Amino acid sequence: MFQYDFMQRAFLAGGLIALIAPLLGVYLVLRRQSLMSDTLSHVSMAGVALGTVLHVSPVLCGFLFAVMGGLMIEQLRRTYKTYSEVPVAIIMTSGLALAMVLMSLKTTLNKSFSSYLFGSIVAVSSSQLIIIAVVTLIGLLFFMLLRRPLYSLTFEEDTAAVSGVRVKMLSFAFAVVAGMIVAAAMPIVGVLLVSSLIVLPSAFALRFAGSFVSASVLAVVTGMAGVFSGLTASYYTDTPPGGSIALILLIILLAGIGLQRAVKLAKKRRTGKTEAILRQQTNQTIHEGVLK
Amino acid sequence: MILCSLRDIVFGYENEPVIRNVSVDIHAGEFIAVSGPNGAAKTTLLKLILGLIKPWSGSIQFTPEFSGSSVAYVPQQASSFNSGFPSKVIELVRSGCYTELGLFRRFHREQHALVEEILREVGLWELRNRKIGELSGGQKQRACIARAMVQQPDLLVLDEPVTGMDAASRVRFYEWMRNLVKTQGKTVIMVTHGLDEARDYLDRVIYLEGKEETDHVSI
Repeated sequence: MFQYDFMQRAFLAGGLIALIAPLLGVYLVLRRQSLMSDTLSHVSMAGVALGTVLHVSPVLCGFLFAVMGGLMIEQLRRTYKTYSEVPVAIIMTSGLALAMVLMSLKTTLNKSFSSYLFGSIVAVSSSQLIIIAVVTLIGLLFFMLLRRPLYSLTFEEDTAAVSGVRVKMLSFAFAVVAGMIVAAAMPIVGVLLVSSLIVLPSAFALRFAGSFVSASVLAVVTGMAGVFSGLTASYYTDTPPGGSIALILLIILLAGIGLQRAVKLAKKRRTGKTEAILRQQTNQTIHEGVLK
Repeated sequence: MILCSLRDIVFGYENEPVIRNVSVDIHAGEFIAVSGPNGAAKTTLLKLILGLIKPWSGSIQFTPEFSGSSVAYVPQQASSFNSGFPSKVIELVRSGCYTELGLFRRFHREQHALVEEILREVGLWELRNRKIGELSGGQKQRACIARAMVQQPDLLVLDEPVTGMDAASRVRFYEWMRNLVKTQGKTVIMVTHGLDEARDYLDRVIYLEGKEETDHVSI
């Protein structure tokens, strides 16, 4: 399959996205903002639609909308402190509504939109590949250089603020980076399934990892496995890559949960047996004591 | 020496003031308890002192000598936040050094020694490689206090820090705070409902009566 240029581009783009999207996912899950990626992808879709209607670069418009969506979510999160899911619902429905209205204005848009909704192997152009590479580099630099303040911010915002982390600024920067990553991932996995590549690998990693670094590494490795096997499956079965990637990541997550439960159960049984033996021995000792 | 001065502070949520015309001075080198019934705005008072929220009116001023000094905060039920956080105890406690180390500076022998000393002090050294989610409530609370302590703060602000701790750990904690104040001149402000057992270790009690037209601060 690598004799085709589009497959080479798809694997390269997928590999780059799998490097950064699960990393974003670790922070989103821990900050209880898992649905943020879904919301941003819907907003980004409105941007793509607007760009097409106005004959301006749809990719650029999608990016701008995703970044603006991220900033708006962060601002609304501060306004609705008690109900943090409210901004997500507001922005998601607004983005979807705007996209639908714009799509109805341009009927030719409906045909190409399925590739935006579910992703497409052939959707990744050379210029998009460059954008994805730049976004991956920005994302990696952001998460690596700011890993210490991000760790503090993710653990608890108030203590982070007191210890000198510029919480507001960092949160807004995080929202911008999140918007960029979501917009960059869209051509591969599609609007509807972009959150699968961001949330599922981190959900898997967070169950097993013992430290923050190992959680990040495991999430990236899982994302890579999902993307490469999903793209391969998509090529041979002629199915949208978004669906294949999401299904494979879901299988990995479910297998992980199953394995973890089996190991816990086996441990419990073993501990139960040991405890029973210890109890027996203790009883004997007490009995001997009484006799003496 | 006065560390922080609160004058005629009014603050509330929505349109309802919960703190009305409170004036109080915090002196350097004191171990202070903030107490009062539920809803008396004890946590709110701490957040005002820390600058996490701004008062509707009144002023909060730190003395110029205190500027640049470090502050650490352990929020209420700190242990319940992010219990699934993917960190070992030692990793979480070490993150308290990030303020001092900045973005890039590496951990040195002094930081490792400090982390070990404080983990031993809170009785978690043996559990340092456990995931924080696997600790009990009291142990998580002690891990959060240890994280604050490695910052070597001049002002330590604790919101119900002994929640979930057994009696022996609570006494040990009060003795530790008393010792910090006495030997190192640190300032400790602590919200607590357990005034009876803490009283002997404290310098002062700020009692917020709440629900009154004007909050009363008894010292």
